[in-house]
Amino acid sequence: MIIRQHLARTGSRALVRSSSHPLRRFLSAETDARHVSADDSIKQLHTLDTQLDTPSLPPASTNDSHTHPSATPAQLSAQVAEQYHQFKKQQQLIGKLGSDITPHYQPHTLLNNPPSPADVTLELLLASEAHQGHATSIWNPANARYIHGIRQGTHIISLEVTAAHLRRAAKVVQEVSRRAGMVLFVGTRDGQDRAVVRAAELAKGYHLFERWIPGSITNGQQILGRCKTKVVNEKDVEIDGFDEQLWGRPVLRPDLVVCLNPLENYVLLHECALNNIPTIGVIDTNADPTWVTYPIPANDDSLRCIQVIAGVLGRAGELGQKARLAAAERGEVVYSPAKGLVLPGDEDKAAADTSAREQLSPDEQQKLDEGIVDPDDLATMLDEAAHHEGKAKSDRIKVVS
Amino acid sequence: MARRELARSAWETIEFLGHPRRFQCPRKTTLLPRRTLLPPAARCLSTTPSRPAELTTEGPERFTAAPPIDFGKQDAGDSGDGSPQRVQLRSLRIVPASPSYFSAKPTFNDDFIHLSALLRKVATLPTIPNAEAPKVAWKTIDQYRIMVNEPVKTQRFHKMLHILRRLNTINPSLMPDEVLGAMQRYKKDSQPGDVKPNSGAIDELGRAKGVGRRKTSSAVAFLVEGEGEVLVNGKSLAQFFGRLHDRESAVWALKSTQRLDKYNVFGLVNGGGVTGQAEALTLAVAKALLVHEPALKPALRRAGCVTRDPRKVERKKAGHVKARKMPTWVKR
Repeated sequence: MIIRQHLARTGSRALVRSSSHPLRRFLSAETDARHVSADDSIKQLHTLDTQLDTPSLPPASTNDSHTHPSATPAQLSAQVAEQYHQFKKQQQLIGKLGSDITPHYQPHTLLNNPPSPADVTLELLLASEAHQGHATSIWNPANARYIHGIRQGTHIISLEVTAAHLRRAAKVVQEVSRRAGMVLFVGTRDGQDRAVVRAAELAKGYHLFERWIPGSITNGQQILGRCKTKVVNEKDVEIDGFDEQLWGRPVLRPDLVVCLNPLENYVLLHECALNNIPTIGVIDTNADPTWVTYPIPANDDSLRCIQVIAGVLGRAGELGQKARLAAAERGEVVYSPAKGLVLPGDEDKAAADTSAREQLSPDEQQKLDEGIVDPDDLATMLDEAAHHEGKAKSDRIKVVS
Repeated sequence: MARRELARSAWETIEFLGHPRRFQCPRKTTLLPRRTLLPPAARCLSTTPSRPAELTTEGPERFTAAPPIDFGKQDAGDSGDGSPQRVQLRSLRIVPASPSYFSAKPTFNDDFIHLSALLRKVATLPTIPNAEAPKVAWKTIDQYRIMVNEPVKTQRFHKMLHILRRLNTINPSLMPDEVLGAMQRYKKDSQPGDVKPNSGAIDELGRAKGVGRRKTSSAVAFLVEGEGEVLVNGKSLAQFFGRLHDRESAVWALKSTQRLDKYNVFGLVNGGGVTGQAEALTLAVAKALLVHEPALKPALRRAGCVTRDPRKVERKKAGHVKARKMPTWVKR
């Protein structure tokens, strides 16, 4: 019965196929058989065999013209494209159908949509294993105040402290970005790169996911001297024409460094400390909290925890940048501008200024540079200031009383 | 207004005079002796016995991080108005051109981030096996280093090449233009298959030309359909080549394909010796024959007539008797 149905379905096609084969074989035999290589002829034989065999084989599906073995590569790849588009269409149609899935952890969400400082909860921190410290034997006792207790030989970090410190650090990042400071996010362990890049992207900051090159701050001219800089205005629009002036300027240094693995970045943190650059660091129970200005006691070995922390700090930076750009729209400039820049058209005037300055005595020049006031002037200023401040205080007292 | 500014600066001066330590280098603070590294007695969290301070202080050089930022003091909001030109100057600041500035390799890191983001975007597209992917000559690390002018590490560059090879295996019918554009930056200027050998043509007199070289000889052969006459430099094959072996190798391309009686050969050879000239003719005749009958290529290859033999006389070196032979060692 089945065989009869099958024959009825495919019989006509098989007839058509068999009639077409002699012609194909005739065509293929037209090349001079003597000069066709042995391998080629074997290959040809194989293809001929498959062509001859196919009608006798039961077809895999009713539309077997798609899966014909003798289809050219171009046809095959066209089929793949067609199938892929069909699959996408199907997915769009029926992808949302089915049972409701309860909310669960999806790793990509921490990178695609990181939590903001307002979303920091103890549950989030606990779920991301921020509380796991190290074995008690390798602890750093300076972390005692961040530690909640001991469980199975490992220290447990107090999540209240973590949340409080994380919020404080977020506030710091936000304020620094609001004042157009340069925030550098550093995470040099394997797998931290995406979190670091994402945080820098959100905060319009800078990222480092490779080794910190020792001396990038203390010997910056040698190491970062070739890296390009640009001049921007308060709305972050690049202003052209300053290339020559940018050439000889000192290299830039960050205003705030966020270090996600302080243990491996001793050199970086040391350089920051030497140059009075404040730092934020994720301090596990084996790290030294005095290496950083603003410690965040948390588990630095968990990528998930690092992603949460980097995301929160990145979002905080984003808030700060938004506030700064809003202020720029109102015409306020919240940072001190770059010194010594001359507008591209005004070089002659600037040159005249400098020549006038050179006519002054060296002492006066130095005073101009450093803003030093003569002692006599200072005395009068101090008197005046004290007088003024006293008046202000008396005013305040009056108001209070 | 000016008075208040003055007052603020004066107060800063007073503060400076009153608390000099605040502005000093924070490394000099005298906190070290107090840090005895003993846990507080009330919360005994340590399971290790406490050690004397002088034993635990060994390790890297100690430093103290920068003090916290005082945001209240640093409010430098300079919102005074001036002429339009001044407004522009006072709002300018210098920032790095790239977010990878502090890695000292900004262009490379930007490239790497861009490519990995692109790969994440197109990762679900169907792929073809690596062997079937289009052949691409990627820039070598030296070429890339010259392009970006940065000290790129070999290992990092190979990671980037890995991403590029993966992008190249996307099914050609679904390859996005974005990926093609991105890959263009890392391709060499000349790609395999760009230079197609000139297949040659038969001229109006029915001649096909082929050029061949061997050792220091070079030969040009003109092939016309005919009865098997061979002229080399105006002489017959037997006159020109005394050795039977050389006569055979000069027309080996015709002989191995049994075309000896179907073509006439007019050959011009110069340079080198007899063997070199004969084998240069082999190559020249084979190439000319391929113009007439391209389908003969596999047969000619099996006969060893298609590949140019690159061997040449090795030069003599100083201190050697010949190219490699050393003088006999004499004890004294």
